[in-house]
Amino acid sequence: MCDIIWCKKCGTVNYLDPYYFWNWQGKTHCAECKTVYYIHMINGFMYAGPEERPGEQADILPLYADKPMDGFASYLPGTEGRTRPFQCQHRHIYLGKPDMVKFSIRGKPLRGWRPQPPSTGRLGSYGFKWDVEKLSPEVWAEYQEKQKRGEVTEW
Amino acid sequence: MGDVRNVCLEDLPGPSSQAELEAEKVSYEEYCRQLFAPGREFEKPEALKGVRWMSCTMYIFTPHAVANLAELGAEVIKIETPRAGEPMRHTSPFNEAYLYPMHDSRPNTGTGFGYMNANPNKYNITLDYHRPEAQEVFRRLVTVSDGLTECYRPGTFDKWKQSYRYVQEINPRFIYVWGGGFGYGPKTFGASYDILGQAHAGLASVTGWHEDFGGHPAKHTNWIIDWYSGTQITVGILAALNWRRKTGLGTMIEFSQVQCATRALGYGVPMYGRFGIVRQRWGNWDTQLCVHGIVLCGKSDYPDDKNPQLKYDARYVAVSAFNDADFKELCAVIGRKDLYDKYKTHKERLSEYAQMDIYKTLEEWAADKSRSEVAKALTGAGLLAIPVMNDKEVYESEHFRARGTVRWQEDPTFGDVVVQGGYSTGLMSATPRRVKWIWRTLGADNMKIYHELLGYPVSQLEDWYAKGII
Repeated sequence: MCDIIWCKKCGTVNYLDPYYFWNWQGKTHCAECKTVYYIHMINGFMYAGPEERPGEQADILPLYADKPMDGFASYLPGTEGRTRPFQCQHRHIYLGKPDMVKFSIRGKPLRGWRPQPPSTGRLGSYGFKWDVEKLSPEVWAEYQEKQKRGEVTEW
Repeated sequence: MGDVRNVCLEDLPGPSSQAELEAEKVSYEEYCRQLFAPGREFEKPEALKGVRWMSCTMYIFTPHAVANLAELGAEVIKIETPRAGEPMRHTSPFNEAYLYPMHDSRPNTGTGFGYMNANPNKYNITLDYHRPEAQEVFRRLVTVSDGLTECYRPGTFDKWKQSYRYVQEINPRFIYVWGGGFGYGPKTFGASYDILGQAHAGLASVTGWHEDFGGHPAKHTNWIIDWYSGTQITVGILAALNWRRKTGLGTMIEFSQVQCATRALGYGVPMYGRFGIVRQRWGNWDTQLCVHGIVLCGKSDYPDDKNPQLKYDARYVAVSAFNDADFKELCAVIGRKDLYDKYKTHKERLSEYAQMDIYKTLEEWAADKSRSEVAKALTGAGLLAIPVMNDKEVYESEHFRARGTVRWQEDPTFGDVVVQGGYSTGLMSATPRRVKWIWRTLGADNMKIYHELLGYPVSQLEDWYAKGII
């Protein structure tokens, strides 16, 4: 899944790789003519842009670019000043550090956050019930407040 | 009432005539509500209670085969690699929160939502089959279980001397399931994932739009053949259990995932055999029925929503009006009676050029409407039309809520969760399926199974745990 900016000025296709651009808002440029474009992508979908922003600096460069109408002349990743080097890494938000959601969308408490306290059982064995009130007292307190505010619903 | 021996049936309370009996009957709707009683599954017995099954499974395909048994009441013991667990625990959806279980060895590593629906109600233990000490434990489990499902490459369990021909010697009633990619044969060494099941069986070749429309062979976004094959294995297991009731003997089930999907292709391969025709893709339209497809509408049901999947994607509606009368009505609703005059018979409508013409006309009509407006207009005229719903709408569906298909549940370990798998597989009045827990943490039942069931002393288990055997 990869969106592109096909620069109408120079006919260059700039590839917006999902590693950086999947959920992203900012400015990038055309690798060939260096026209700066503003884009806003949500879940890989071009929500806004590309809009030209003359005179501004690009935040992140495209990973790769080529010119399909010109014999597919290309700029490989990491071409100085034109494309970004490929580091095989997602942005930090995709590196597995999760959002610690404490309540479901209907306002009831979830359980099992990281890091976990050591298990009380032997051999990794684990009891059948995580008692929110005892094991996550701060979430329990917040839950009581949510109930008072009427933020806990059935659906 | 006097002496019951002298009472006539007619004197007993209750309807005294057929007409009264009929009048006292509740409506079919009410009857079903009482019979199936969504939310009260736990008051009823379990069909497979007493069956104990070992699950040496990974990812979705084989775990789902056993999850069906677990939801129907079997006691399923899932065996995973010590400290790491099976890979599906760590294959969470993109950009999705993990659920972090309490675990001694990897407190920062959780189990992703991808584990969902394939592992409910199972007891989770850990065991490293490679170690000589594990052999005896494995065999002890075999002697007290009814069957096993495994997904290792063909011959792996045989190499470890725990395949069907070995376990049969210690438990002749044992039902052994191997489920995997290709099975024995020329491609025996091929491993498999769902995508191979979709591709190798020819399913992907008839999915998606034809290349003439800019389409490509498409895989289903979800691992649909994993879920489908798993269910087919469960069918085999239930038949094997019945066979064992009659004969007292076990069975080996060898289940190739890539062969399974050919069944879902319907007439595709037989048609090739008879006529030499290779079936083509036809996207969101239908090769056998027209109109019977998905139509794009011009306006969104959520025009102001920030989420592009709602703002832009909530524009599709499935329409079915293929018989002559329905098609005539459809043409009347969209104000194009000339279209009916042009394609009066179903055969005429089925040709590819007719379909292009008809669907194009439909989409032109829908260009200034939202999909709910289209669905309302068509269903109002007695035609079949339903918006293509997304997950949000499935969650909000009153129909699913009333039937208990989608429901909130308090999971003992993970808290508030929406359960949409366990209750979506058909209702049973006497022995309904149920989800007791969505999954257990890695090795959560080591004490319960090894100590309480098999009777190993705790000191022995601690020794194994220290050595990484469990």
